[in-house]
Amino acid sequence: MQFKHKQLQNGLTIISEIQPPAQTAAMGFFVRTGSRDENAAVSGVSHFLEHMLFKGTDTLSWQQVNEAFDGLGASFNASTGEENTVYFAAVLAEYLPEVAKLWSQLMRPALRENDFDIEKNVILEEIAMCRDLPQYEILEDARALHFGSHPCANSVLGTEESIKAITVQQMRDYFARRYAPNNLVVACCGNSNFDVFCGHIEQLCGNWPPVQTQRQLSWFEGTRQKKTVRREMLARHHICLISPSVSMQDPRRFAASLLGMVLGDDTGSRYFWSLVDPAIAEAASMQAEAMDGVGAIYSYICCEPAAADKVMDIVGGIFKDIAQNGVSEKELQAAKNKVLSALAIKSERPMGRLMGLGLNWVYRQEYRTLADDIAAIRAVSVRDINQLIAEFSPGDFTCLAMGPAA
Amino acid sequence: MKERLDQQRLNNGMVILGEPMDGVESVSFHFLLPAGNAFFPDGCCGAGKVVADWLFRGAGRRNNRQLTETLDNLGIHRSSAVSGEHLSLGASLEAGNLTAALDLYADILIQPRLEDEQFAPSQQLALHELAGLDDDPRHKVMLLTKEQFYPSPYNRPAEGRAKDLQALTPEQCRQLVRTRFDWSQCIFAVAGKYDFQVVCALLEKRFGPLSGTASRHPPFGSRGNPYTHQPNEGAQVHIGMMTAVPPIGDKRYYDILAGVSVLSGSMSSRLFTEVREKRGLCYAVSARYQTLKNIAGISCYAGTTPEKAQKTFDVTLHEFRRLRQGITEDEMQRAKIGLKSSLIMQSESTQARCAGIAGDFAYLGRVRPLSEIRRQLDVVTIRSVLDFLNTNLFENFTVATIGPKSIQP
Repeated sequence: MQFKHKQLQNGLTIISEIQPPAQTAAMGFFVRTGSRDENAAVSGVSHFLEHMLFKGTDTLSWQQVNEAFDGLGASFNASTGEENTVYFAAVLAEYLPEVAKLWSQLMRPALRENDFDIEKNVILEEIAMCRDLPQYEILEDARALHFGSHPCANSVLGTEESIKAITVQQMRDYFARRYAPNNLVVACCGNSNFDVFCGHIEQLCGNWPPVQTQRQLSWFEGTRQKKTVRREMLARHHICLISPSVSMQDPRRFAASLLGMVLGDDTGSRYFWSLVDPAIAEAASMQAEAMDGVGAIYSYICCEPAAADKVMDIVGGIFKDIAQNGVSEKELQAAKNKVLSALAIKSERPMGRLMGLGLNWVYRQEYRTLADDIAAIRAVSVRDINQLIAEFSPGDFTCLAMGPAA
Repeated sequence: MKERLDQQRLNNGMVILGEPMDGVESVSFHFLLPAGNAFFPDGCCGAGKVVADWLFRGAGRRNNRQLTETLDNLGIHRSSAVSGEHLSLGASLEAGNLTAALDLYADILIQPRLEDEQFAPSQQLALHELAGLDDDPRHKVMLLTKEQFYPSPYNRPAEGRAKDLQALTPEQCRQLVRTRFDWSQCIFAVAGKYDFQVVCALLEKRFGPLSGTASRHPPFGSRGNPYTHQPNEGAQVHIGMMTAVPPIGDKRYYDILAGVSVLSGSMSSRLFTEVREKRGLCYAVSARYQTLKNIAGISCYAGTTPEKAQKTFDVTLHEFRRLRQGITEDEMQRAKIGLKSSLIMQSESTQARCAGIAGDFAYLGRVRPLSEIRRQLDVVTIRSVLDFLNTNLFENFTVATIGPKSIQP
């Protein structure tokens, strides 16, 4: 594997991890923008804009875009979160130049008003769909509760009201501010020729003018509020807990992710043995999410309504125990083994490497090999984990619960 | 592309398949047993799900906790699935731990402890998950559709039925393990980085002495209702549809795949274009081919707000039936490229290949090399797909909806 990197004069960064024997290649445009970069008047615009990119350019209609991707046999999609919008595709290696050209064109969309009006209905349907998925809805609502006045509280999808109110001009303004070349990274993995790849990107993106973009970074402890929402139509009780954790810039993010594994992996974790194995809850998981300048550890638990109090007592006991006694060498080792084998499985395909490659650059302008990550995971000690517990007090959490009366 | 298939059959009939892959440090394996819900006696619907959990609660010299700790220490990512026909246990891990993992899985399958006190939590978890489906109407509507579409006993939902699950006893489930774990029909598949001789020697030692009574597919019984509606107060109406087509062994299989791909292979396909892009009727709409050994269907899901539900259903149905009026050269070309490209992408994943070769053997009695699938796709033409569509008119659909409003199917 070989890493290559180039920055165009307008600030657009191109990076590539080259694996010559791979049959496929994966590439993506990583735009450093998401719901935290929105204000209330345009809540949901990042995600809506992501949909609109597929509607074409001044010279390509949406039909032509869809047909072009499918004509390359591309496995492609896009995702929008709190702080990144990522457009990605995996193709047979021979089609990489074509798919790179296509994405480059789409990064300068037409944003036509009639397409905008039709797509608004699709976004409203997506919002309705998520209202029927309590396991998704509770995460969004708990994030808002935890982050309070911090921009990470912003909803990714927006609300029915905010989406209906957004105008195409507001979207165009947002696009002009956020999709500047100096706010984008193009990443590529797999079987590729870097010079040829860069040539295509430069030809299509080299003349985009840079724009001053910014994001205010600030650490946030979380509100630690507790709230229960009664929802009679639900069958189960859904619980989301959030406590602060380290950011993407913090080298302790590996320790934080192992802490999440020790406490809340779906097998063999503290949650597993106390909640799932004895069938007190059917789902209980914990995950650390390192973000830009801030971080959080999320738990999601689902149980029968009558077991809600018992679950919270057990969870309280787990956090009390780790605060007093820390985690053990044995459980840390098991967590490391699971993380390391997950890494090996994920790295089978170029697509599995792409997200890590792109995001490492977006957050830290850093290239990390698989071996670097393996070494960082192996190096985490029980002491590192226990220090995180002491510093962040995960037992002192924000809590949102949603369910019917017990 | 280099293609190699390792294959061996043990004296007891158990089949061992392997597909080596270059450039990976991982390996996946799969045990496929003819212990799906259709093979169980009446009144045990969901027993497969309970058994799949119970098996992992202690085996050989390890109790529940020791077994899970050993699996975790080997970094094993495990999966289990129950279908109408099979119980499958799968694992993915770093290749260096393969031998230890196989030995452990042999304990789990051959010497599960199946202790009384571990039965209740397995049963409770299955009941909880079944109750949880009410909070996931999108998933639930497809289960409901399949339950009505497939003839009994192939229609038994993997998640089980509450009445059956509540009545299950430990002895009943132990008996199912004793009788339904038929080693003469077990298929084992491995893909990734492995040494086939070592794998075969280990499996021969552990599974070779075991036997089984040849399981037979039960005959098709009655089918369910053409339309089922379950009211709820959700935001959307979730629509499930299913229509019959020939199964994987049929000579028209590749024509069907190409037809489904034109209909719903990706973003330029008919359903996405007509239902979502042109009309903005929904966010999610898709159709896929689903096969068992002797029966198959095309299933379709769409979710939409109540006032658009009827139109969404009408447009979707119209697109199924309009397909036989003609397919363009471009559409056919894109369908084939999409199918071939996803084949190659699967060939880079140990999990996908392992499931692929095990499934092929179970349904076709042999593993199709990827080159054969590519060749078969090459010979599909617009004419051959239309010929198929003119004999399969998509006249009959099984439909289910969950939501605040029903539709007129």
